[in-house]
Formats: sequence, structure tokens, C-alpha cells
Amino acid sequence: MRSRRRALDQLDEERLLRLVAKGDRGAFDELYRRTSPWLAVRLRRRCADEQIVAEVMQETYLAVWRAAGAFAGSAVGGSAVGWLWTIAARRLVDAFRRRAHHAEPPVAAAGSAVVPAAEDEVLARTVGGDVGDALRQLAPELRQVLQAMVLDGLSVRETAILLKLPEGTVKTRARRARIAMREAMA
Amino acid sequence: MSADHASMRLIDEYARGDTTMAADTVWALEAHLETCATCRGRLSTAVETGVPGIAALVDTVRAGLEPQLDAAVRAPARRYRPRWVSAWMTPAMAPWLAMIVTVVVVALVLDVAGPPSLFGDASPVLLVAPVLPLCGVAASWSRGLDPMYELTASTARAGLPLLLRRTTAVLLVALPGLLVEGWLTGAMTAAQWLLPSLVFTSTALALGSVVGVSRAAAALVAVWGAVIVGPAWATGRVPLALEPDRLPLWGLLLALGVGAVIARRNAYSTL
Amino acid sequence: MTPTTSAVDTAPKTYAWEVRAAGLRVRAGRKMAVDGLDLSLGTGTHGLLGPNGAGKTTLIRALATVLRPAGGELELLGSSAGGIGDHRALRRRIGYLPQEFGYYKRFTVREFVEYMAWLKEVPKADIPAAVQRAVERVGLADRADQRMKTLSGGMVRRAGIAQAIVNDPVLLLLDEPTVGLDPAQRLRFRELLQELGRDTCVVVSTHLVEDVAAACSDVVLFADGRLVFQGPPEVLAAAGTSEYPGDSPLERGYSALLSNSERPGGTW
Repeated sequence: MRSRRRALDQLDEERLLRLVAKGDRGAFDELYRRTSPWLAVRLRRRCADEQIVAEVMQETYLAVWRAAGAFAGSAVGGSAVGWLWTIAARRLVDAFRRRAHHAEPPVAAAGSAVVPAAEDEVLARTVGGDVGDALRQLAPELRQVLQAMVLDGLSVRETAILLKLPEGTVKTRARRARIAMREAMA
Repeated sequence: MSADHASMRLIDEYARGDTTMAADTVWALEAHLETCATCRGRLSTAVETGVPGIAALVDTVRAGLEPQLDAAVRAPARRYRPRWVSAWMTPAMAPWLAMIVTVVVVALVLDVAGPPSLFGDASPVLLVAPVLPLCGVAASWSRGLDPMYELTASTARAGLPLLLRRTTAVLLVALPGLLVEGWLTGAMTAAQWLLPSLVFTSTALALGSVVGVSRAAAALVAVWGAVIVGPAWATGRVPLALEPDRLPLWGLLLALGVGAVIARRNAYSTL
Repeated sequence: MTPTTSAVDTAPKTYAWEVRAAGLRVRAGRKMAVDGLDLSLGTGTHGLLGPNGAGKTTLIRALATVLRPAGGELELLGSSAGGIGDHRALRRRIGYLPQEFGYYKRFTVREFVEYMAWLKEVPKADIPAAVQRAVERVGLADRADQRMKTLSGGMVRRAGIAQAIVNDPVLLLLDEPTVGLDPAQRLRFRELLQELGRDTCVVVSTHLVEDVAAACSDVVLFADGRLVFQGPPEVLAAAGTSEYPGDSPLERGYSALLSNSERPGGTW
């Protein structure tokens, strides 16, 4: 049993998911152990209500358990973790949809003039130096929309529900954000 | 690899839900965490040691999940058909494709073992080859033959591209069979039947934009039977239309058929 | 983490109504089943009520772009749906459940919904998650890997609803979706309808007045190919007095408006 545990340790998430597709509970446990804190933190930053986060997590992992085969079987492959986030983000929107009066989403950090420390600069490579600057200069309400649509991969309608904004506002802000980003990076 | 990881301080702040973090940093960190297993591991550690609220949440969810996992009925994740197959053909076409294969085999048997007097000089293969693909094409976009017609007709892919995909699948089944057969029997050159069968296929598609593909195919098969096969059977000679010197005419017809399909390309989305 | 949005998605909405018909005429066989219909529908759940043979199915099929209108104007999501044209972009945003639909019996529920997602041009990478979500929303998660031919009528109906919503449509057309559902499933379905109606234009054709009362924010009463009434269920209920047949205010209102609109020599 211990050697099996170690064997699971060695696998990446895609391989784990393939095992989950075959009904392997050990692989599911390992996947949960590795990804659930990350998912919980990320969801928590988008939804202040712990009840909703718990509900979304539960639905997400249940969906993973049931649909792992479809993911493993699809030729597109892609990242298992990215797939997990896609499921969770949509479920979060669904949870908001179900609650007419849901908890307020956490407001975007108001002041964000904090200059990143030098050690964080490696990270900037992911987003790129110019992009990072442009993002920092972006008005919070524009950034919030951009984040939901680009980073979280949500559609206009889903973003509208997540941020409790009318669809038209989301569209306007998305356009303004893009223009601002383009100008800042030019 | 190791140089590209986020600092522990940053991960701690992120895990605690610190709202004073710079927005671009959070963005970069979240993007990074999605692709980096090492940093996700470090985030797990940070949660365990520093954020009891989330650690408890994770455990509660896991405990609540247990009975649901047990209850979830799981059929073995078996795929009955690869996804790409559905992109090129439908189950409704399968019997017709099987029929094409059968006809090719029967024609071959007739050619080799059949009474020579049946069609005289004309090989039966030569006589069926031009209309053979039509049978499959008819089933590829048909209200009567395809149960999923109504659902398919309302989707974005419905239209000429989907029809062409399915037609290609039919041709891929029919043509190699005929090719092998022509080569085995030596009764006909490829050009002699290949062009006519492409002409019939394209004409069926062109007419199909007006009356529906299956009706067009049926009509063409009837015309072919009456004008070519009937006389050939009666006279026992290779039909005039299939003589090698008629090839330019077939070429012209093919161009006309293809042109008509292109001109009517938008008419296929609703029938 | 590829940006899934494009300039098209964030372009301002150029239309006031998801569905706008003016003098719409649609033929069903020889009969002009929709004959001079003026209708505007926005976001929300619209219950399409009418006697059998009123032309509800024909109207829904025209809205699904399966039937080409014979005359008049039809605008869906801001683009014209009349005449020959390329409806590809429009169709990506439509969900349609036909009254009777065929399916490949050997497909599993998942394969069926996946195939429909492919036909609707849902991005490849999104298909597995979108299919799972749709299947869960109609409560078929436990049956997802069973073949379609093993399902009961109600389950097939729910699989049909799953395929209709798999592409997250902006315009959702459901023709008699509650046929074959048992009472518990019907309740669940009404909840789903209300949820969908928040940001989708849902058109539900039904002959069950109680479906409309429970789940619709708007009633469209349709008879002989024409619009008889459009408004909130309460207004329809108010139109009914005790002299008209029916078990509920809404049913009496329905009978009242229909008998008033009956044309001399009407066929129904």
C-alpha cells in the first residue's frame, strides 16, 4: 500500500485523472489532496461566503469523479488543473445564479499601489513586464472584469453574474479594459 | 524550473486572502499556480499551517464527498466510438455504407463467376459504379433516414461543410473498393467510372439544395437505371455514355455540378 | 488559460429584443400555420400557450431556424433569420428541443450531448466540462454513461433538454419539454427554467397552463397562427371570470381570451 501511495506521488495530475477515469479512489484522493487547497483559496478569493465555496467544491469534485473519463478520452488533453478550474468557475457562477440574493463578492482590492518585491519579478514573466504594468494601472472595476474573462475564462454572461453587473456594463468595461491595456503597452 | 517559483511570502499572503496584494501579482500568481505543481504543493502547506479556516473547509468537503462518491453510479468510462468518427459519419449512414460494400462484392462475383450474357460486354461493376456512392450520400443528410435530422438541422455545423464531410466519408468507402475491383477485373479504367460517379455525387448535392439530397439521389439512380443500365442490359454493349471518348463531357458535367453546389452553398443550412 | 473571449463577444448588444417578428408567416405543409404574427420577446421565460394545432411547433421551428419563414420579418438576436443566409453565428447561440426528436439509440447520454455540443461548435476543450454540467443540470448525472435506448421517455426528454442547454444559449426554445416528466421531475424542471430565465430568452411551448403559472414570467397566447395575448400570467388570470371553463384563474383567463378571439368559422 505504501509503495502504491508513493507511486501515486510520482504521477502528474493528468495521469491521476486518467486513473480516476478508471474508478481509482486512491488516485482521486491524491488528486484531491493536491488540488483542493489551491481550489479552495482561489474560490474563496472570489466568493466571501464559505458555504457557497464548500458547495461548489463538492459539486466540482463530484463532477470530476463522474466525468474524468470524458476528459481523459478527449483528444484535446490540456491541463487537468485548468480543467478543474473551468468546472469550478462555472459551478460558482451557477451557485450565484441559484441564489437571487447571494453573498457579495469580495470587492477588488481598492488600493493596489503596492510595489512588488524584487523576488516577485520572476513571476512577472508569466504576465510579462509591460502587461504587469498595464494591469496595475488599470482601474479596479475594469481589472475585475478582465480577470473574470481572461484569467478565469468566463463568458460575458457568466462574468455579469459573478460580479453582479448588467451584461452591457461587463461588455463596456471589457472593451475599455482592452483599449487601456493596448495603450499602456504601446 | 526552480528559479521560476513564487516566493513563500507571496504564497502565504495569497492563501490568507490578503486583499492588499498588487493586482498584477495576484494575476501572475494565479496563472502560475495553474501550471506549477510545486507551487500548488507549497500553497497546500501554507494552508495547512497558516489558514485553519480553509484547511477545515477542505476537510469538511472531503468528508461530505465520501458518501456521494459511493453513491455515484459509475459506468466504466468506456467510449463506444472515437469522437472523430461522429464528425465524419453518422450511425444512420452505417447500413448504407455496408450496402455499398456488399454491392461492390456482389458485382465482383458477378463479374468473375456470373453468366457472361447478363450485360454482354459491359461489366456490372462499370454499370453500378457511377451511382453507387449516391446511396450513401442520400443517407448522409436526410429527413427520413437520419433520426437526428431535426436536431442537426438547427445547429451551427448544419449546412454544406457537414454534408461535404459526410459525402467524403461515403466516397472514401466506395471509391477504394471500386478501384480495387476495376483493377482486379481489368474491365474498366478508373477514369471511365470515377468521373461519372463524381458527376452523380455532385449533381445529387446540387439538386439536393432544391429538393433534398435523398430525393435527388433517388431520382438520379432512377434516371441512370432507365437511360443507361436498361439499354445496356437489352443490347449487351458498353453504354455509349461510358466510352472513354466521352470523358471530356463528364468532366464538363462535373464542373457544372461543383459550380452549382458552390453557388447554392448557403441553401443547405435549412431544407 | 487562453482568453476565451473575442471582440465579437464584447461588442455592444445591438438589439432590443432577442426575438422580434413582424407580420411573420410560416408555412407548415400546405397550411399557413403562422399567419401574420407580431411578437417581441426579451430576456425571461415566455410560456407559449395555445390549443393544439395553433401553430406553436411551427413557430418554434422557425425560431430555431429550421423552417424558413414564408413572409414577414423575423429577427433573432439582432440578425435576420428570414431567407437564405449563413446562420452559423446565430445558431451557435440557440438551444432547441424539438417536440419529437430522434437520436442514435446506441449513443450514451454523454456521447449524445457531446455530439450535439460538437455540432453546435462549442470549443473542443470546453466540451467535456460543458457536457457534464448540462447532464447534471437536468439530473441525469447517474445515467450519463448509459445508452440512450435504455432510458425511459422522461429521461430521453431530459437528455434532450441537456443538449439544448449545453452551449449555454442566449435563445432557448423548448417545445413541450414537460411531456413524459413525472411530477417531481416537473418541479425540478421549473426551477431550472426560472434559473435559465434570468439571463436567457427562454420560449417554452406547452399545453399545460400550470407549467406557465409556475415558471414563466410572461405568457404568449397563440391561436390560429396569430397572437391573442401577451403579458404577465397575472393579467391573463384576471381576464378569466367564473363563467369560463377552467380549474384555476389562469385556465379561466385562457378560455376567456381564446373564446373572445375565435374567428367566425374557426376550425378548432
